[in-house]
Amino acid sequence: MEKPFILHMLTTAKNLSPFDVNMAMDAGWVCTVPYTNVEPSEVRGLVQDAIFSRSPKGLQKTGIFIGGRDTKQAMDMLKLAKNSMVPPFEVSVFADPSGAFTTAAGMVAAVENELKTKFNSSLEGTNIVALGGTGPVGQAAAVIAAIAGANVRIVGRQLDKAQRIADLCNEEFGEGKIAISAGVDSEKSQYMQTADVVFATGAAGIELLNAELLTEAPQLKVVADVNAVPPSGIAGVDAFHNGAPVPGSKSGAVAIGALAIGNVKYQAQNKLLKLMIDSDKPIYLHFTHAFEVAREYFKANG
Amino acid sequence: MEKRSILHMLDPMPNNSPFDVNMALDAGFEVLMPYSNVKLDSVHGLTQDAIFSRSPSGVKRTGLFIGGRDMGLAIDMLNAAKLAMVPPFEISVFADPSGAFTTAAALVACVEKELKTHHNKTLQDCKAIVFGGTGPVGVATGVIASLAGAETTIVDHLSFDAANDIVKEYNRRFKATLKAAKASSDEQKAELIADHDIVFCTAKAGIQVLNAKVLEHARLLKVAGDVNAVPPMGIEGIKSTDLGKPLIHAINATGAVGVGALAVGNIKYKLQQVLLKSMLETEQPLYLDFRDAFEKARAII
Repeated sequence: MEKPFILHMLTTAKNLSPFDVNMAMDAGWVCTVPYTNVEPSEVRGLVQDAIFSRSPKGLQKTGIFIGGRDTKQAMDMLKLAKNSMVPPFEVSVFADPSGAFTTAAGMVAAVENELKTKFNSSLEGTNIVALGGTGPVGQAAAVIAAIAGANVRIVGRQLDKAQRIADLCNEEFGEGKIAISAGVDSEKSQYMQTADVVFATGAAGIELLNAELLTEAPQLKVVADVNAVPPSGIAGVDAFHNGAPVPGSKSGAVAIGALAIGNVKYQAQNKLLKLMIDSDKPIYLHFTHAFEVAREYFKANG
Repeated sequence: MEKRSILHMLDPMPNNSPFDVNMALDAGFEVLMPYSNVKLDSVHGLTQDAIFSRSPSGVKRTGLFIGGRDMGLAIDMLNAAKLAMVPPFEISVFADPSGAFTTAAALVACVEKELKTHHNKTLQDCKAIVFGGTGPVGVATGVIASLAGAETTIVDHLSFDAANDIVKEYNRRFKATLKAAKASSDEQKAELIADHDIVFCTAKAGIQVLNAKVLEHARLLKVAGDVNAVPPMGIEGIKSTDLGKPLIHAINATGAVGVGALAVGNIKYKLQQVLLKSMLETEQPLYLDFRDAFEKARAII
């Protein structure tokens, strides 16, 4: 009898996200098993239980998914899981808390694609304002873009919180090699003077950028909004927008809406879940890998 | 369409063990359902919900697994499930908290085999000591060894009372004859190891319990078994694949041999597979605990 593909799905939250469960099943995992309210201190025990109950061959059909809502916790758990492996008893692990890593990767790759195809430009040296950027998606997007060479500012309602998040991103996720700065909402109009790109990753139903700031921005090229629930995070951006011109934009900016981003996110998450199945060697996946596959998606599909 | 086989996995802990999940799916159960934070008094209701929702032919494709970290509670839950059956609405139940029953059964059976091969002795002839004896595997190892006739002592690394509470509870429950001890220092370990024939090491993974210096004090030691697969090993000098290899640091114990974690794990794995599969193959419902596990482990070896 062929051994089934088993994905052990760990979350710090009370429940798994049905999104991740569907995604895992559709990617080819036959059995998904939930482990909820998992504390980081429990990761080692869970991982070692998982690795010592199958032969190294069986472990190729075994994986661990890390969900939850907190990016730092998920990255810590990913590291803990990696450190708990006892080769050759080792399995692949994929962290994607709240789907934030793949969502952020989808957004940044979609923005990069617009920069390239419509403005013959890239993320390198681009000024990005990440509005509502203190949440999981905002953090991951800021880090991915900064690693790709962009100058990113995380903007929140409170400057001290935004600064704390920027520091966390730089130190924890960027390993000190990136320099994301912080900003506060009330200074938005000033940031928009030099912004090339805007990410809107705030809570659903909150408008982060109004029509005036949007259309008057002198050098704005691309705006991206992950909010699928009206009102949109950026005035006038529709969930279906996929590189459509922003009406009235003086700089000729284009917009990417939630469903366009969601499509890339879907492809990226599916690809990474499949990579875990197909890989001969254990792999440890997070936002960096999500961005790689999201970029590949655009290479393949233009 | 044939009904899919379902294993309902009851666990008093916040989560099931991924170990048991892998094992159950590899044994052929098609659908697993985790039930976490299960209390003893919920077992009756959960069991009856499981049996009354399928026809008697469907219940044959239905099983109950009891996990957790507590041997006594697992046995209580097994008994509660058994009492909840209403023949012909009856399903097989297998208790193996933290895999402890099958690990302990495999460990004791492996040690018993080496005892026979290298020293021509049986468990009845021997004094055994269980380091890390108050954890799930340790308790089950102690109980199995004691019921098989070895004069067995359970050791806790912090508290005599902790060991003694367990000894009292399990002697009462299973009519075992366990004794308790504490060993937190190398001196205490050396003293205990000096006059024992068998050492079981069931402490936490990655913790070395007996170093080379302590092992020099062993004089009667015949077989040492270690279930720790994460370096450093629980007993210095044992390799996880050892099965009857000389214990290099026990220089004062003639012919002492070691059994490592993967050797035990290999038997434990086969054993748990056999028991899980027997739940799917049996005509009559089975109620499986550490006694069945030990019997099957002996048969496998």
